[in-house]
Amino acid sequence: MALERRDGNLYYYRSVRDGEKVRKVYWGSGELARIAHEREIMNRALREHERRESAKELERMEALAAPVLALSEAAEILVRAHLIACGYHRHKGEYRRARGEARST
Amino acid sequence: MSAEISENLEELRELSQKAEAGEKGGRAQLRSAVAKCSPEVIAEASDIAQRAQAMLTKTISASEPLMEEALEARLALMREEIAGEDASPLEILLTERVVAGWLLVEVLEGLISAQFYKRAPKSSRVPPSYTLQMSRILESATRRYLATIRELARVRKLQAGAPPAQVNTQVNILRG
Repeated sequence: MALERRDGNLYYYRSVRDGEKVRKVYWGSGELARIAHEREIMNRALREHERRESAKELERMEALAAPVLALSEAAEILVRAHLIACGYHRHKGEYRRARGEARST
Repeated sequence: MSAEISENLEELRELSQKAEAGEKGGRAQLRSAVAKCSPEVIAEASDIAQRAQAMLTKTISASEPLMEEALEARLALMREEIAGEDASPLEILLTERVVAGWLLVEVLEGLISAQFYKRAPKSSRVPPSYTLQMSRILESATRRYLATIRELARVRKLQAGAPPAQVNTQVNILRG
């Protein structure tokens, strides 16, 4: 987006993507061009603010989930180690006791 | 998690793989590693569970003391009900995991549904792409939560040494 001044007049152009290329499309001139330009700046700032807020919210969620995931991982490893140490083995996702091994977990 | 505990967990993971692959002496080595590391790992994991719980209860209760206290009491009750009497350290750890998982799912559901609340201030809303990402986090948390319940049930079943239950129902249809 660009506001251009030529021969004392204002002209406003918008960038439009056309496949790989970016075209400059005439939007308006004079006071209308200035208003459109300022509105675009405001919209852009608003979008940026929203993006930052969303990222912050997502970060907050991930921070909440992180300790639970750490706990989950630790428990998973420990349970598996306990079961295998006690003579169990996995068969199609199920734990089964190998013959002649200890039973207690 | 401390570096030492992470190392211990990594060692347990490797030894489990070796033992499962049938490596000679693998199981004995794993047994001694489990006996050595278990108390420390369980203590550290319980610590993490406490921290996670504090963070989550603060979030869900919006730091309101009464709500926070009520939630803590509910969690204590849940813990008692799930762990039951004479729970082994492993069962206690899995109980902590179930409780923390439940709480996380509740918090995430609350935060996501706030996005759909009509009267919520526009400033606190996030675009649909982020809501989608949040939903993915929730989905993964729910999956883990349900997996933990299954794991606890499995550990209990194996501890009891009970054969898999099979219930047959016979229905007789009499022709009159």
